[in-house]
Amino acid sequence: MRVIVDKLSFAYDDKIVLNNLSFSLVSGDFLSVIGRNGTGKSTLAKCMLKLLKIPDKKIFLDDVDINKLKKLFNIGYVPQKSEFNYEFPISVKELLLCAYPKRKDAFFTQIINDLDLNVIYNDNINNLSGGQLQRVFIARALLCNPKMLVLDEPTVGVDQENIEAMYKILSKLKSEGITIILITHDPVFCKDLSTYTLILDDLGFFSFEKGCKTYD
Amino acid sequence: MISLMSIFDFFIEQDFFRYAIYSAIILGVLAPVVGSVVVIRRLSFIANTLSHFSLAGVTMGVLIANVFQFELLNPTIWGVIFGVLGTFLIEKLRNFYKNYKELSMPIILSLGVALSSLFLSLSTGVDSKFINSLLFGSILAVGLTDFILILIITLLIIIFILTSYKKIVTLCFDETFAIVSGINVKFLQMLITITLAFVISFFLNLIGVLLISALMIVPISIGILIGKSYKNALIVSIVFSEISVILGFFLSYYFDLPTGATIILLCIFFLFSIMIFKKIRLIYLNRK
Repeated sequence: MRVIVDKLSFAYDDKIVLNNLSFSLVSGDFLSVIGRNGTGKSTLAKCMLKLLKIPDKKIFLDDVDINKLKKLFNIGYVPQKSEFNYEFPISVKELLLCAYPKRKDAFFTQIINDLDLNVIYNDNINNLSGGQLQRVFIARALLCNPKMLVLDEPTVGVDQENIEAMYKILSKLKSEGITIILITHDPVFCKDLSTYTLILDDLGFFSFEKGCKTYD
Repeated sequence: MISLMSIFDFFIEQDFFRYAIYSAIILGVLAPVVGSVVVIRRLSFIANTLSHFSLAGVTMGVLIANVFQFELLNPTIWGVIFGVLGTFLIEKLRNFYKNYKELSMPIILSLGVALSSLFLSLSTGVDSKFINSLLFGSILAVGLTDFILILIITLLIIIFILTSYKKIVTLCFDETFAIVSGINVKFLQMLITITLAFVISFFLNLIGVLLISALMIVPISIGILIGKSYKNALIVSIVFSEISVILGFFLSYYFDLPTGATIILLCIFFLFSIMIFKKIRLIYLNRK
């Protein structure tokens, strides 16, 4: 998916979080968005997912203004672990089937197999480890048949082994031409995958650079 | 066994009891289903608020019948109108407070109680038995009209739940994902709250204002403790809800106890028993 962000600014009350932010991505690009807490990483994700209201002609997906899209087609979202409602029992199977508009079919089964979810398919979400949970969230996002995937801090609470498994999954998705936007504290996680790095700072300034970068 | 059957036959032969027990069996399924959404969305208090605001509607219906000497609308319908109105008022008030959104509920609850008290005091000839049945429920309160209304509303709710099941579950567990996947969250949320208002208002007479919300919350609290999946938790809560409702009905009839109170006490008894059982089991497993 082709993504263009053109002079996007966003402020909460008086605090400017994003200031004239511009960049563009094409299919198969991998963007790591890094910066300290409160620099607007999640705000950018929310703008791209239409969770926050922005002016017209600031974000274009496949050359269509995001505000003109009634529904976000082909966009997958992997939330922060803390955003999920945990206390009520729900199985992996229920979570995935409810996110999938059709009945269980070959595409659905393929994703379950690809992400190695067969063993935990009937388990309660509350009993999963951080890594297993992230795999479930990625599977749920992939069920939307995405051309763009937005991941918000997917490595938080995940052990090294599962981080490496996630790296492999994202690498495969990138090679399939899915545009990936990764919000992270941990730029090292995807240093070989990042085609671009967007570094955000406290004052709303940004730098958009090729490859993997870190911030001071 | 024969005598038990004959008691059952006697009950079923009584029209008032037949309507009441059928309504209660329907409520035994509807309350946990709607209640599960309320609990997951952390809106447990909204059920209590709406039941008190519906009461204002019912009492207004009684007042109008009292003043004009004819029923403009069935008091249950007034209860439904107020129940739905209450959902909109709660939503409007929520927008006035940024960090204290939950304040809207006690405000509307108090308004409902105050209006009910006012309407009842203005109505003449309302006896304490009627007020008692409003507050704690009565099996005599469900007539043929009420029962037909209950059947219609149940059918509508079942259609809504079956057609929107996936969307409702997605919204309950992850609102952000629901928005991103194109679900009209505000509209769906409104439909859920209106469904809640309907269930509360239509069954208000049977279970009572003070206890109707408990039937939505307590069985699903059992489901959370035992269930391994959403479906499993729902089935568990419906089973306990039905046992409490049916047993509660016969006990309340046989021993002349308030229906709502008997049902809820049974429900809470099951909940506490399961809590204790789980605790003992945990201690036993830890020792092992």
